[in-house]
Amino acid sequence: MLTEEQIERYSRHIILKEVGGKGQKKLFDGKVLIIGAGGLGSPIALYLAAAGVGTIGIADADVVDLSNLQRQIAHHTKDIGVPKVESAREKMVAMNPDVTVKTYQEWISASNIAQIVADYDFVIDGTDNFAAKFLINDACVLAGKPYSHGGILQFDGQTMTIKPGESPCYRCLFPAPPPKDAIPSCSQAGVIGVLPGVLGTIQATEAIKFLLGKGDLLTGRLLTYSALRMKFREVPVKKSPKCPVCGENPTITELVDELDALNVCDLEKA
Amino acid sequence: MQITVKLFATFREGRFSVEGREYPEGTRIAVILSELNIPEQQIGMIMVNARHAEPDQELHDGDTLAIFPLVGGG
Repeated sequence: MLTEEQIERYSRHIILKEVGGKGQKKLFDGKVLIIGAGGLGSPIALYLAAAGVGTIGIADADVVDLSNLQRQIAHHTKDIGVPKVESAREKMVAMNPDVTVKTYQEWISASNIAQIVADYDFVIDGTDNFAAKFLINDACVLAGKPYSHGGILQFDGQTMTIKPGESPCYRCLFPAPPPKDAIPSCSQAGVIGVLPGVLGTIQATEAIKFLLGKGDLLTGRLLTYSALRMKFREVPVKKSPKCPVCGENPTITELVDELDALNVCDLEKA
Repeated sequence: MQITVKLFATFREGRFSVEGREYPEGTRIAVILSELNIPEQQIGMIMVNARHAEPDQELHDGDTLAIFPLVGGG
């Protein structure tokens, strides 16, 4: 049951016919895992907390660096040196004490991801490297867990929602990670600060729609965004019968780390 | 044959966004990548008619080829 204060707090949700009291309760009962507490993870964490998503997990081993603050809006200047998950939790709980924030101050890997993902209804990829993006895809597909893929660089971003078994997964369009020497990093290539705000809020919207069971998810289509041209484009994507994880003869049946794909945005610390 | 070539993100710089282009029947994707001066190691995804494709795939009249760079930051 919602308290009077909660009815007031979520009143602009509750008056939406797609949400209502029942939908707000679904959000309260919802569990969303955010992997990465950086550029994408920051707006995702703040909006999910504000929306009253009851349990939010956030995973990141990193600490806040001065060069993060131009885009990672969950972290403030006073947080430099503080674990990102702790910094994010502080802002989320300050914004909305109703939510439970579970922090995982560790890098996700083949040895821990399945266990972490198992506790959640929906997963959001806010990571900055291909090793993690492929691992999240494989873990979610093997566990049948819906998730939102997101990626950014310079002025461009892309996102797609994956419903394992129903819609194409990341490996359907991108079967294996690129060699690490080919990967441009944010520290080398740069990223405009507002870019993760645009992509992250789309990813958060998908999590909220999934919990509500309303609308159409961004499945079977890759949404691309160009900040410079201020254009969104949508590219239809089909499941690949040859996909190594969700195709007809999958070769990936257990989780392995893609050791060849380095961190993209954190090379300054490597 | 007519191929619709769509370029994304940084691949558009100095090139184009979407173009209908003429190629001989059976042209492989790698030929188009080379013509457009797109190094294979910079490529994230290649799709033909909404499905993943590899550079050695042959194209057919009316195909839509979409080429994306690596976008892996967060």
